[in-house]
Amino acid sequence: MRSLATQPGPLQHWKKASVLVPSLLIFGVASASAGDRITQHFRVDPHPVVAIHNPGGTVTVRAWTKSEVMVIAQRATTEVAFDATQTGNRVDILTHALSDNAAPGELRTDLEISVPQDTELQIHDDAGGVNVSNVLGDMNVETITAGVDLEDAAGYLAVKTVDGSFQCVRCTGRIEVSSISGNFRFIDIHSPYVRAQTSTGNILFNGEFLPNATYRLKNYSGVIEVRFSPGDSFALDAHSLKGQVHNEARLDPPSHHHFLPRLGNALFGSMNAGRASVELSSFDGTINILKRD
Amino acid sequence: MNTIGCNEFLNQLGDWMENNRSADARAHVIRCGDCRSLVADLTAIQESAPSLALDDPEPSPRVWLAVRAQLEQEGLIHDGRRAPAPASTGWFDAIFAMIPRPALAAAYLAALIAVGAALVAPGSGYFQRTSSGSARWLSRTENATGPLSAQLNSAEQDTFSSFKTADPTVAASLQKNLAIVDNYIALCEKSVREDPQDEDARDYLYDAYQQKADLLAQMSDRGDIGQ
Repeated sequence: MRSLATQPGPLQHWKKASVLVPSLLIFGVASASAGDRITQHFRVDPHPVVAIHNPGGTVTVRAWTKSEVMVIAQRATTEVAFDATQTGNRVDILTHALSDNAAPGELRTDLEISVPQDTELQIHDDAGGVNVSNVLGDMNVETITAGVDLEDAAGYLAVKTVDGSFQCVRCTGRIEVSSISGNFRFIDIHSPYVRAQTSTGNILFNGEFLPNATYRLKNYSGVIEVRFSPGDSFALDAHSLKGQVHNEARLDPPSHHHFLPRLGNALFGSMNAGRASVELSSFDGTINILKRD
Repeated sequence: MNTIGCNEFLNQLGDWMENNRSADARAHVIRCGDCRSLVADLTAIQESAPSLALDDPEPSPRVWLAVRAQLEQEGLIHDGRRAPAPASTGWFDAIFAMIPRPALAAAYLAALIAVGAALVAPGSGYFQRTSSGSARWLSRTENATGPLSAQLNSAEQDTFSSFKTADPTVAASLQKNLAIVDNYIALCEKSVREDPQDEDARDYLYDAYQQKADLLAQMSDRGDIGQ
């Protein structure tokens, strides 16, 4: 079986995009009206809120040590308006089309935003991509096709996409993510609560199982893959209504059973002390519980 | 002693939520855990609605007409009036009048889905007292899900009429994913028909309805932005 761990994630797609986009820009620059680059700075207090609404383009947010928010907007053309305002300890960043007739490429704005580590982020980005690194505040991200790539996030993360992918690397906060056809990848996470639901997307979980933590991964079709190490401690409830469950973990039966229950495409049992709760469910997809490489 | 049953209580639910509570209804709620739970859920929605309030509370008249017709059809409210929906100030209207417009479609459809799920859930007292086998169970499920499905289809038509986005890839994505959800709804409905007592299949079906409601709300949101 092909492991989800070997499939390209958002990061790989971005690498490809980094090669393709400059090429496209070279060809596109002749036809579009000139864009521009705008930079703005906002002084903020601890725990600021930054709300970003950018229908098309990439949103890149990085944490820094300054008590200020810096926004760099790169507009493809002047057909799109950029507006950044501060109200108290909140900064609103908004882009919107000025013309109904502009092509989508002409409405693109790429945002690079630097924020204090404890910033709360609210991001709406329909198409493009969202990249956030080292921000420790809560985060709410909604996209349509844009992929969401988070690194070293620590707050409560709520992410919703339609078919954008989601990747979380070294995240430690509570994570709730939902999508219809987006793929999810949880890599090296140390989270006490993960709830992930996608319809046709695949889900890869390759992280630490914390004591008393809950991990609920659910899809309709596609593959759910969970990686474990021999020392991990979790209680597993895995069932696929119409699909298959493949398991490499040595599970002990639940306390009230003398054998490992395997009812149809369902599997229940504990590994080691069963301290974390792992619930995997699929309608007609495949569930793989595999040893970590 | 219980003086009224669940059906009668559900007929009085509208009055109950408006604080017109008969002694029989009070006695029933004390005795019946299912109805007590339903009342608690609706009260929680009612109480949390103000926190969602924004400055655009006016929903489409069609929404209120559909909600009222739906609830009356399911017996959740009993009201002979067919008042013009936007002017109505009933408890259900009051809850949703406080919810901002973009969140409205999802919120009210979610409420319908939750109520529908509660009525057909295997542990539901309503179900246990009104059916005795798979055929009845299936009938109840279809009675609950049929109007929901129709309601979602109606909301879909409304949404498409106002949907507007400048980016064709976004529009294509939303429509593609709507088709995916519709496909899952069909698959789940088939599974529920094949095995009406399969709780998992029913859960997936209601999840799929919820996803469709969420997706339509997102599309509706973009329609509002485009206008």
